[in-house]
Amino acid sequence: MRLAEYEAKEILKTYGIPVPAGAVIRSPGELGPRLGEFGDEIVLKAQVPVGGRGKAGGIIVTGKGEAVSRAAALFGKEIRGFPVREILAEERLAIGKEYYLSIAVDRSSRQPLVLFAEAGGVEIEAVARERPEAVRRIIVSPLLAEIPPFALRDLLGDLAKDLAPVANRLYRIFREKDAILAEINPLVTTPKGICAADAKIIVDESALARQKLGKGRAKTDREQQAEAHGFSYVDLDGDIGVIGNGAGLTMATIDLIALYGGKAANFLDVGGGADRERVKHAVQLVAGLPSVKVIVLNILGGITRCDEVAKGILEAGIAQKVMVRLAGVNEDEGRALLAGKGYTMFETMDEAVLAAAGAIR
Amino acid sequence: MIYADRSTGVIVTGATGNQGKFHIPFMNAYARQVGGKGIVAGVTPGKGGQEVSGVPVYNSIREALREHDAGAAVVFVPAGAAMDSVMECAYAGIGLIVTITEQIPVHDTMKAIEYARLQGSAVIGPNCPGLLSPGECKLGIIPAQLATRGNVGVVSRSGTLTYEVIHELTRAGIGQSTVVGIGGDPVIGQTFTDVLGQFEGDPETKAVVLIGEVGGSLEEEGAASTDLPLVAYVAGVTAPPEKRMGHAGAIIEGGEGDARSKIRRLDGMGIAVAERPGEIPDLIRGYL
Repeated sequence: MRLAEYEAKEILKTYGIPVPAGAVIRSPGELGPRLGEFGDEIVLKAQVPVGGRGKAGGIIVTGKGEAVSRAAALFGKEIRGFPVREILAEERLAIGKEYYLSIAVDRSSRQPLVLFAEAGGVEIEAVARERPEAVRRIIVSPLLAEIPPFALRDLLGDLAKDLAPVANRLYRIFREKDAILAEINPLVTTPKGICAADAKIIVDESALARQKLGKGRAKTDREQQAEAHGFSYVDLDGDIGVIGNGAGLTMATIDLIALYGGKAANFLDVGGGADRERVKHAVQLVAGLPSVKVIVLNILGGITRCDEVAKGILEAGIAQKVMVRLAGVNEDEGRALLAGKGYTMFETMDEAVLAAAGAIR
Repeated sequence: MIYADRSTGVIVTGATGNQGKFHIPFMNAYARQVGGKGIVAGVTPGKGGQEVSGVPVYNSIREALREHDAGAAVVFVPAGAAMDSVMECAYAGIGLIVTITEQIPVHDTMKAIEYARLQGSAVIGPNCPGLLSPGECKLGIIPAQLATRGNVGVVSRSGTLTYEVIHELTRAGIGQSTVVGIGGDPVIGQTFTDVLGQFEGDPETKAVVLIGEVGGSLEEEGAASTDLPLVAYVAGVTAPPEKRMGHAGAIIEGGEGDARSKIRRLDGMGIAVAERPGEIPDLIRGYL
């Protein structure tokens, strides 16, 4: 889960990494009384959980006089699909040099990867493409509580003296906050010293409970509703509803729909060993999507019982057609329960998906 | 077959929990069917002296190893303590640790996998269905009734999609040497590269089906590491960026790890990539 910039900066501050003077406001009226904290020029930054805010008009530099009216205008906007509900107002920094510093979980080495570049404020992927020599990287053993000095010298070169404390503090944040990414971009020099001008922290979804963080940000209402039932769910923009058991099988079902010229309305994984109640909720949830004209239900039961699945479908009592692929434990019983009740049954996922795509056309 | 065979004694940790209790009888029924050793002991701290489906339960791995010979463990311990169990197995010298548990914090996984590596143990998973060598052994939860013995290795980041593929292979009369689910998390122990390395040393395996999905680049790295004939399938061609598709690791991040670029790279290596799972049997048949 991606934290808001101001939340990330609060964490940085707690760990001793300097951040700009700033205040979070939730309405234009809250800005007026705090204008004295920032100097003559103010930066207003929309707190939306997406990159590329600046280009989309989510960052505004303004003088004190117009600050409140500019903030009011920003509150009325949507930045890349996200309404602006919070603005971080900050002092405008007198920036000297800009750097990039991040720590991420590296899938290939299975260890923390620290990246540093003497180029900040731009996308690191672009820097890596255009000037690969400018990006320095080190792997740190996850068994170490801090980045060893030799590695910091490798990473930071002559800048180690100034930047090593920041790198190690960020590494502590990465470990202690269960981050999968902790990034400062740019890390800047100012007359007052080093400062994290922007920060991004993404917390591991599997560690939200122990980090005492709630779920459900950057998610649609239906996605939150599905999560409450324990389903993995993602909204898509087609008209064929999809229910599968297992993430991979459900993803493959959606791909197959596209291959046969259709478009999936959603991704819903009911999980392993689903019983009739879960299946019923899943079918009703997907049938409730206004765009859904037909549903593909693809169940390959290793431990999931097909007769339970069939009962769940029957109890859901929905209007749309359901193309049912049931295979595995008790598949004959499951098919018998659905026989003659207006459901179309298929032996393979290919057949079920082909029929659904055909029904739309 | 790779990693284990019918002579491998297996310890189940988290034996007295719901998952352990549910799956121990299936694993042992399979062991009886194929004449294998199966699950020799269970471990749950504080539950020593109990039995699960006739399997004796001990308080620790070390206690279990005093009474039984075991070369592998299957971990069903809940997420909060699963990686502690992995480290306990590694410390006690168990060479193969299959971790079924999902939703383990990734920092715990990184530490335990590195610890196990230094102890000389291989970790399969977490968040995986485990390992099945038809006719030899079942370490985990892959439904054995779908599989049949043969010359095709299967390695996959998925669970049910793996079942789908072995189901299709079996229906087409193509047997499997070993099926390995390496797990759907961003950080996993044995990668495609590791498993393909094992398949290379296995005289029974003539070709391998590699089943990947969005996220990371382990598919390409694995495919580049081997000379074995491969057929690949990558799920998530239509997955939107920055959305987690069920698995913790199935997410396109920072423009990296999308299915089409994976397929392009695999294609570039001359690997046959199936457009749909149903195509896999015909493609793999060409290599047998």
